[in-house]
Amino acid sequence: MTDRPDDVPRPPEKDAGAEPAISLRGLTKTFGDFTAVDGIDLDVPRGQIFGFLGPNGSGKTTTIRMLTGTLRPRAGTARVLGVDVVRHPDRVKRRIGYMSQKFALFEDMTVDENLRFYAGVYDLPAERFAAQREYVLRMADLVGREDELTRNLSVGWRQRLALGAATIHSPELLFLDEPTSGVDPVARRQFWDLLYDLASRGVTLFVTTHYMDEAAHCNRLAFIYRGRIIADGSPSEIRSEHMDQRILDISTPDVDAVLPWLEAADDVQEAYLSGASLHAVVAADSPLTPAALTGRLAAAGFARPDVVEVPATIEDVFVNLVARHR
Amino acid sequence: MSGALVRMGAIVRKEFRHLGRDPRMLLAVVITPVIQLLLFAYAISFDVENVPTIVIDLDRTPTSRSYLEKYEASPFFEVVEHGSTLADVDDAFDHNTARVAVVISAGFARTLDGGGQAQVAVLVDGSEPTAAKVAQTYSVALNQLYTQQLTRAWADAQGLDLSSLGMLEPRVRTWYNPERRSSDFLIPGLMVVIIAIVTVQQTAVTLVRERDLGTQEQLEVSPMRRIELMVGKLLPWTLIAFLDVVMITLLGRALFGIPLRGQPVALALGAALFVFASLGMGLLISAIAPSMDTANIIALLIAFLPSFLLSGFAFDLAQVPIVLQWLAYAFPAQYMVTISRAVFLKGAGVADLWPEFAALAAYAAVMLGISSLLYGRRSSR
Repeated sequence: MTDRPDDVPRPPEKDAGAEPAISLRGLTKTFGDFTAVDGIDLDVPRGQIFGFLGPNGSGKTTTIRMLTGTLRPRAGTARVLGVDVVRHPDRVKRRIGYMSQKFALFEDMTVDENLRFYAGVYDLPAERFAAQREYVLRMADLVGREDELTRNLSVGWRQRLALGAATIHSPELLFLDEPTSGVDPVARRQFWDLLYDLASRGVTLFVTTHYMDEAAHCNRLAFIYRGRIIADGSPSEIRSEHMDQRILDISTPDVDAVLPWLEAADDVQEAYLSGASLHAVVAADSPLTPAALTGRLAAAGFARPDVVEVPATIEDVFVNLVARHR
Repeated sequence: MSGALVRMGAIVRKEFRHLGRDPRMLLAVVITPVIQLLLFAYAISFDVENVPTIVIDLDRTPTSRSYLEKYEASPFFEVVEHGSTLADVDDAFDHNTARVAVVISAGFARTLDGGGQAQVAVLVDGSEPTAAKVAQTYSVALNQLYTQQLTRAWADAQGLDLSSLGMLEPRVRTWYNPERRSSDFLIPGLMVVIIAIVTVQQTAVTLVRERDLGTQEQLEVSPMRRIELMVGKLLPWTLIAFLDVVMITLLGRALFGIPLRGQPVALALGAALFVFASLGMGLLISAIAPSMDTANIIALLIAFLPSFLLSGFAFDLAQVPIVLQWLAYAFPAQYMVTISRAVFLKGAGVADLWPEFAALAAYAAVMLGISSLLYGRRSSR
């Protein structure tokens, strides 16, 4: 990581009095009979990393496309950086950036040619491009590889180059649609460092992901499910507001057999795979203790499992929210 | 405006980079046309010369022999066999040793001497229609020539001066391509086929690829306008199509002596309209094709086949079934083939060809219109 040179124009500093970066009221999009986005209200403060979470097909990408002015909503209003993006999509295009999981790079072109192409797309003046190119190359750790074909870069490098290309025009607001899909955990970690860096410079980041562990990296979150927002707030707010149950974590070599048993158990509300172990959700006032569950599983003939009570993760909250709205 | 130029320039530069980096694409748009030109002009020949001919002289008189000498002397016929019965004709046709048979029946000289109408049977193997048709025409002409000689000989013998007698003398001449060389005929048409392939196929595929890469999505959120993207995308292919036109014109002239008798500007205007019509078709394909493979196949179906088969390039449109003639009107290639041949061979200008120019212009406008509509609708889905 390197610092951005001082002569590069910075995005405007955070301004507490300014309008939210994104403000949605009753935003709706239908495709035929199918309602993809169903009247969502949302406010995204400036300078934050905002996580937009939801399973595939829940309406995340449709929402982003309405916010970037490429899709007209059926109803509702969308203000982006204070501009009515439904009426005046062109007024906001220079101030926003977009990066998708496809990376949108030309693999038969070099690192430098890709950056130059996107600079041309935003018709950046030469001197601004020179400074910005410098910054992007250092940020993406691509100094010295400018003339390498993008095809020959590994996924992590390509991802950082795509971020650089998407921010070549120094946007105030950056949309990232599943940017870490298909990227290994180390590269994901590095990528999030870059996002923190952008946020620290005042850029607002609107990130969709289905990796629940990434949700913890965000300042604020919204869960979208079947086109509706079912929870929003900071990660801790969401945990305390939407999770009054207890989570029991069960480590067992016999996952496949124990899962149906848990699902059938009366006092277990929900059971699912979480990493390598199983999570069982029980009511806050349930008398079921880890020791009691261990006993019952052993009595049912399973190899003695290891049961502990754990604090709810964002993933636990989400699974329960979805179960409640199903 | 300068911003728009910068943005379009970025697209144009990028398109040429793709072309430079992909040897196969470069091959397809620059080398293939040259190879096709050489292949078509040398290998596919509709020239009718030295048609293998079998003669059967059942009369065996000096008169019949002098008649047959006309065939021996003609460059169009090559007498390969002297048969003695009609069965020899069957044999020769079956074994492809001859395509034309000339049969003089017994009594030929006697009938002629007696002032009667002698008959010569000219049998043509119809399995190669072009050669058959031309051979037929030439043998009819030969017969007329011979008849005239006979008439003149008879008149001389009678001491008559034919100049005082009104006589009908058929003189068949082929204009614009007096030697009936098929390369003169093929190369202006081939140019059209090549433009169609380069433009339709490449536009169709490059735009679908852009969608697969996600770069189209990326451009939609940028300040780039749709019209800028389309112009930036189409400009390089227009230039390449023109490069092909110039290349084929020069090669055709240098190697095959194809004359460019008409105004080059008429050819350029026709080519421009045809390129726009083809690019519109390519855009249309890219707007509806779900994948690169589909785009390739549709391009083949609606660009290559009609411009090859239904343009008059390979087959005379007047001789194809009426349904196919109507189908041919639905594709722009036939208008361009007409323009190209008329400008190259007949020395025609814009004024002579206005219906074709109008048809191409209308076609281009409709194609570009529909495809930009579809393109827009797709991106706002």
